[in-house]
This record gives sequence, structure tokens and C-alpha cells, in this order.
Amino acid sequence: MSGSKPTPAQRLTLGRLADILVAEGLGMPAASTVGVADDLLDRCLAAAPCLSEPVLALLDKVPADGLDAFVRRLEADRPDDFAVLSTTIVGAYYLSADVRKRIGYPGQQPSPLPVESEPDYIDMLERVLDRHPGYRECP
Amino acid sequence: MAIFNKVYYFNMVTQVHQSNVVIIGAGASGSVAALRLAAAGFEVVCLEQGDWVGPADYMGAQPEAELAWTERWNPDPNARRGLGDYPLTGEADVRPVMFNGVGGGLVQWAAMWQPLLASDLRVRTLDGIADDWPISWGDLADAYAQVARDMSVSGLGGDPALPEMNPYPNPPIPIGKIGRVAAEGMDRLGWHWWPGANAIASRRHGALQACQRRGTCMTGCPENAKATPSLTHWPSALAAGARLVTGARVMEIPVDERGRVRGAVYRDRDGVEHFQPAQVVLLAANAVGTARLLLLSTSPRFPGGLANSSELVGRRLMQHPYQTVAVVCEEPLESWQGPWGQVIYSLEFAETHPDRDFVRGAKWMVMPHGGPMFAVAEYQEAHRHEGFDAIWGPNFHRAADEVFGHAFTWGIQAEDLPEEGNRVTLDPVVCDSSGLPAARIEYRVSENTRRMLDFNVTRAVEAAEASGAVSTLVSDVWPTGIGHVLGTTRMGNDPQTSVVDRWCRAHDVPNLYVIDGGVFVTGGSANPTATIMANALRVADHLIDARASQEVPA
Repeated sequence: MSGSKPTPAQRLTLGRLADILVAEGLGMPAASTVGVADDLLDRCLAAAPCLSEPVLALLDKVPADGLDAFVRRLEADRPDDFAVLSTTIVGAYYLSADVRKRIGYPGQQPSPLPVESEPDYIDMLERVLDRHPGYRECP
Repeated sequence: MAIFNKVYYFNMVTQVHQSNVVIIGAGASGSVAALRLAAAGFEVVCLEQGDWVGPADYMGAQPEAELAWTERWNPDPNARRGLGDYPLTGEADVRPVMFNGVGGGLVQWAAMWQPLLASDLRVRTLDGIADDWPISWGDLADAYAQVARDMSVSGLGGDPALPEMNPYPNPPIPIGKIGRVAAEGMDRLGWHWWPGANAIASRRHGALQACQRRGTCMTGCPENAKATPSLTHWPSALAAGARLVTGARVMEIPVDERGRVRGAVYRDRDGVEHFQPAQVVLLAANAVGTARLLLLSTSPRFPGGLANSSELVGRRLMQHPYQTVAVVCEEPLESWQGPWGQVIYSLEFAETHPDRDFVRGAKWMVMPHGGPMFAVAEYQEAHRHEGFDAIWGPNFHRAADEVFGHAFTWGIQAEDLPEEGNRVTLDPVVCDSSGLPAARIEYRVSENTRRMLDFNVTRAVEAAEASGAVSTLVSDVWPTGIGHVLGTTRMGNDPQTSVVDRWCRAHDVPNLYVIDGGVFVTGGSANPTATIMANALRVADHLIDARASQEVPA
């Protein structure tokens, strides 16, 4: 990770913002409850170091109160800064093993190709051949 | 006229730094030429500004794979800022993307393998627009077959929309759940579709392992199942004697008093300048990089840039403007699984039709839909107009709940016609890390292309409905390209209206060749790699055959 690690104050702020963007709902937990401001934040910033400096700088400027209004203004008026914040939060959230389990996502795992002796689409392909006029002849 | 053959080569070899051929760029076209020429006994030096990359660099096997797109494997060089990258500036509706390193764009490509339509090379004759190519589909046929073998392509021959071709070396990758659902929709509508051909091995073949469906193709394949020249070409080229210099940023192609190129001046990673003499120079730096380098190579004989008497160098940039329709289905599709090539494609709307308000057409292809971050991004783009609360807070989870694992993508790839205002120039202010001017991109999506995309997106939504979709998510035209940069050094018979001849030799400079996608006269709607590689092989074979008559510097 480039730059310094998040301070406890920065983590606290990120957690509060994260719970506004990724609140509890539809059977899914709020962001801070799965560790978005803790180890998952560290993993996210290690994988995407370009997020580290701008997101930590942003967190230092977040007001103590009125976070909901702040984050809405950020989305409307400063889309680049909002993108840095939201990418960090969403990226960290979906690193959570608990979250992945709940949405049925095992990650990008290897899974060998099935052996197909006879594809099951031959009938459809035959209809393509039957109706297609053939490629456009050229001089 | 000097003689350029093996005997001459062996007489010259004592001049230790002299090479027969310098190739600039180690990507799709440069790797093909390096292997072919080295195997034929030519002394080949390839200068590549980037570095080697391989499975140890790829993040696809890590839980953080989706975050790879953010920086390290971002296809946009301005975001990635790798050691081999140079800045792209300018005002463009579509900003080019590329990868600079051994393998070039084929490190990050989706490996879709798609020969041009026969009509793509005759659009002036057939449709009265743009220009015909100076070669025909038949001139590429043998080379298409050879490069498909070299790239371990998996696919099914016999598509009636294409001329007859040799069988691909591997059977097609199973179309899977997403391909089946998409194909059923096309079948109900009576529209063309065909199992996708991809340079991804469906079984162990050549240098490639069998695909493991990890679905991280575009950030590098950790399994070495996707063809990229560092696997398929460079080991053999190096074994045949080719020399590959990485971290070599070419600054200029100097000429002698007769206007023949003498080699290439490059700067290494430490900033030290070198001169690599050569009898012939092959430019293979993609349509942006090659145009930039020609424009950088000014001299009293070529004050407007090398090989630019037509003033077309850098002009006619084409990029295949692109939109997507995500097809959201009720049934689970496990659509994060790969490969992220094309499981099926359609050429139903790829040809000009008299009832439409545009000429030429688009190719469609079905792809997976990625992990949850991708689902969120696409869902939010489609629903942003509904306001903050529709996509954040408790509703944030709607993307994962409704879309993730239940969607696939119809990619719509439009043929953009060549326009001289769409161009690459040199930025007057911004420079790369070597002090060379950045490439400035001017590109506007034409009215013809917008109509084409509107029509095709509407049809794709109909195809989605025929597939039983519960909803669709339609993107805008992607503001970043899809890695297809074409047309800035076009091929042609007339030196006044083209940069290189039918053998891709510069009209103005008899020992300078361009072998990348810059030579495309028109772009078709096909993914261009198959044609770029086939054409590079065609040109390399011609160089070998014509070596006795090749002009070289004094």
C-alpha cells in the first residue's frame, strides 16, 4: 500500500460513511458490521493503491456532523471524489467472506470446462443454416 | 538497389549491432512478424517500451480480482500509468485503451477471434461509402488459418455469414447457460447467431492450458489458457534468434540522405539513448503509437512526419464505439464464470440494409457479467437517474439481489467509418516519462454510428425479451474504447490517399513498413486481432519472398 495506513479516526469516519452508502437491507448487513473499515479496508487499498491517498485525504475533511448531507453533496458535486470513496467501500464490502456467502459468490474460482461430446444446440444451429442467405458476395 | 537476403545478412553480421529488421512493438503484429522473420533466418531486433508480464503479475486468482480493474490492470493507460505507458490527451467521445508490454493489447484482451466479413474490404464498391481495401478477403485466407493455429483458437467453422474457412484447431468452448439463453432468444426471432470463436484453449493445445473458466481474462489469465504472444510467439521467436529489448521507448526513426530509414533511436529505462541500425523497420506499435512515432520522426526531407506526404498519418482513427445491453434473467446463470470471451456472437445486423437510416452495421457478442462490483456498477449506471436513494442505502443491495449471477451481456460493437477529423496528433504540452509528446486524440462518434448503435441496442433489447429477460440494463456509448484502434496509416494503391501500399510498405519510404491495425482501410465490425495478425503474417511472408529486391539504406 502506498502512503500511510488509515488512522483510527479515518477508519471511524469511513465506517460511518459506509453505513450510509451500504446500509442494512434485503437481508444483507451494513458495511461497517462486516469490517469494511477494518481489515477489509486494508486489503482493498493494498489491491488498489491508487485509492489510498485520495480516500484518506477525503476522510480528513469530512465534517463531524451531517454525514448524510455531506455524502449526498459529494455524489452530486464532486463525482471523482465520490467515486474514490464509493469504490473503496464497495470494493472492501465484497471482499467480506460473509457477504460473498450471502450472495452466493465463491469468487473467480477455477472450474474446468464441461466435456461436451455433442453440443445441445445443434438443432438451433441447423435452423441458422437453413434460413441464412449466405455471406455477401464481393467482386 | 542493395540486396536483402540471407547471403547479405551473413556478410553483414560482423557489424555487430546491425540487424536486418527492427520491429517496434511486441504485441499482436510485432510478435507474428518477429517469429516468421526470425524463423526464416532474418536477424530481428524488437524494441518494446513495456516489460514482460505473466501469471505472477495477474490478480485473477486472488479474492481481490475485481479490484484489479481499478489500477494495476485498468485498460486505460492514463489510469494505469505503467512504466511502458504514455499519456493520451485530447477531446474524444471515445478514449483509446491499450496495454504497453510484451504481448501488447493481447495481455488484456477478451480473446474474441473474428475474421472480417468479405464485404468489409469492399464497402466503396458495395455500399458507396469510405474506401475499398487494396486486398481481398482471399488474400488473408491462408494467413487467417495459420494464425488461428498459432493462437490455439477454439471455435466452430461453417458460419454462413463468413467465407469458407479451415476448421479451428480446437472445438468451441461450451456456450453454457448464458449462451443457451441468448441463443434461444435469437432462435425465436429467426436471427443469426453462432458459437463464439476465441483464442482461449478449450483443451490443452500448443503453449496453452485448458480454460478453467475463472472469468478474469481481461486482467490476464492466471492459468495460461488465453493466447497472448508471450506464450504463443515469443518463446519460439527468441529460440529462432530474435532479440527482444524491453523498456526501449523509440523516440525517432532517422533517415539517410536518400530518405531510407536507418533504424530506430530509443531510450532505455535509465534514460540512456541508443541507436539500433536496421535495413528495414516494421512499425507495430498500434494505430496510436505508430502514428505518434511517425509524427515524431521529422526531418528536412519529411518535415510533416515520416511517410506523411499524404498528410493522412494519424487521421481516420477508428475504434468500434461500443454499448452493452445487460440481459437480466430470473434463473441463476452463474454468470461471473468465464471465459470472458464471446460464448456466442451474431452478425444479423452487420451488413448494410436499404431500410435502415445508416450504412454498415454492428457485431454482437454474448459475454459473462462479472462479479458483484461489476453488477453494482452497471446497475447503478442504469438507475442513477432515479436518484441517490435508488442505488445507495438499503437499495444498494438491489444490484446483487436482482442482477448479480442472473445477467449476461450483449456487447454491441459498431463499425465506425473512417473520418479524417478523428485523429492522433502530438500534444503540444504534455509529455511522457521520456520527454516525448503525448498522443493527443480527437474522436467524435458520427451520426451514422449513433444511428447504428441506437438501432442495434433496440434490437438487442428485443433479443433479450425473446430470451425471457425480466429486465435489461442499457449502457451509454462507452467513453473508453475497447482496445480497437485502427486506420491511422491506411493501406491503399494511391500514394496521395494512403500511407502504405498493399504490402504495407510506406509509399514514401521503401524500407519502412506498418503492420499494426493502423493499416486498416475500414474497420468492419469484427474484433480486429485475427485480421491484424493475419495481415502481419501476410506482410512478413512477402518480405521473405521479396528479400532480393528490398531496398535498404546506404
